[in-house]
Amino acid sequence: MARLEDIPEPTRTAARDIACPSFESTPFVGGPALSKRRVALVSSAALIRRGDKPFPVGSGEHRAVPASWPTADILVSHVSINFDRAGYQRDINVVHPIDRLHDLAAEGAIGSVAQTHFSVMGSTDPAAMASAADDIAQALHADGVDAVLLCPV
Amino acid sequence: MSALAQMLESRGLPTTVLALVLPQVEKTRPPRALMTPFLLGRPVGEPNDAGFQRRVLLQALSLLERTDGPVILEHFPDDPPSWVDRADWVPAVSLPPLDPMMSAGTPPSPAQWEFALRAEMVQVLPAWERFKARFGRTTVGLADQPPQDWPAFIASFLAGGLPGVPLHDTPALALRFLVDDLKALYGEAAQADGGPPSARQLDQWFWRKTVAGQLLIALRAFSLTSENSALKTVGGRFFVPVPYLPA
Repeated sequence: MARLEDIPEPTRTAARDIACPSFESTPFVGGPALSKRRVALVSSAALIRRGDKPFPVGSGEHRAVPASWPTADILVSHVSINFDRAGYQRDINVVHPIDRLHDLAAEGAIGSVAQTHFSVMGSTDPAAMASAADDIAQALHADGVDAVLLCPV
Repeated sequence: MSALAQMLESRGLPTTVLALVLPQVEKTRPPRALMTPFLLGRPVGEPNDAGFQRRVLLQALSLLERTDGPVILEHFPDDPPSWVDRADWVPAVSLPPLDPMMSAGTPPSPAQWEFALRAEMVQVLPAWERFKARFGRTTVGLADQPPQDWPAFIASFLAGGLPGVPLHDTPALALRFLVDDLKALYGEAAQADGGPPSARQLDQWFWRKTVAGQLLIALRAFSLTSENSALKTVGGRFFVPVPYLPA
């Protein structure tokens, strides 16, 4: 079984013991049936288009990942010695499941797929991401998104 | 991701998280999360298996229809098929046994490393081309340098130089992303034929059977002695996984 104990050190201890922010309460926004929802992806894989400058380590920035990007041009710039890369090398959908979202929209399981998705840099202090959260939320609202699937890496 | 989910939900967006590290989810308590048993690096599980990926996504997205939160935390029940080693897997590249000089005795000179890597890459590159043709993609591309330039670039560091490329701000970053590209190229070449190996099988092949793996172990050791603090940090953190460091 692939569990926390299978992650090599020192990443295992870092992942387990990383300081996580505590929130006084958890918000909970409702919405229509899944078949009516417009879905966007937000990834912490620091996704870039081939030729773009990789995300700096610890950066609180966000970048758009347009749905129109050819999947063959999408690269993961969040580099770690302890990430499994074999899956992503064969298929971008194990990190950024854009083709599966389109499948779900085509079969009517979800309403539609957002025009633009977003990526941030993993292992970043969430306090540095407040501005990114503002910008991402504003853009997704403008696109009519009412469901966000967050994908770590 | 759990914290960002909290932040986006508080800005009016319904969210659901694919989670890989349970202690983080338990601490941050996002509104909805699907805990999966997958390795870091593959949050949707199995490559080129649309049915498996569909099940992961549908279970995560279905949490959006529940009204009994917050907090909603479900567990995905299955491991991806390629979690287990594939008994019949062999790398698509057949390489000669490693020269014992690389791991014992007199360390190779920078010029010897450059020659050895260049010679090995001649054997690896055809398989990489087959991989690209088969899957229509490559994850090589962070370094912004063509593979034929890699051996000399690495060797120049071993010789005490600090070369750079325009895309990256420092020589250390240029080397970091080149190392990632080198690992990616070999990983893809080894997967050019047949079904997916486990991540463990691919790592064992790269770190124990290839000149490139031995070179990166040597490069890490060299970097840790560098007076360039950025190179020292990058070499220690990003070149070699702990399980493959020399005893």
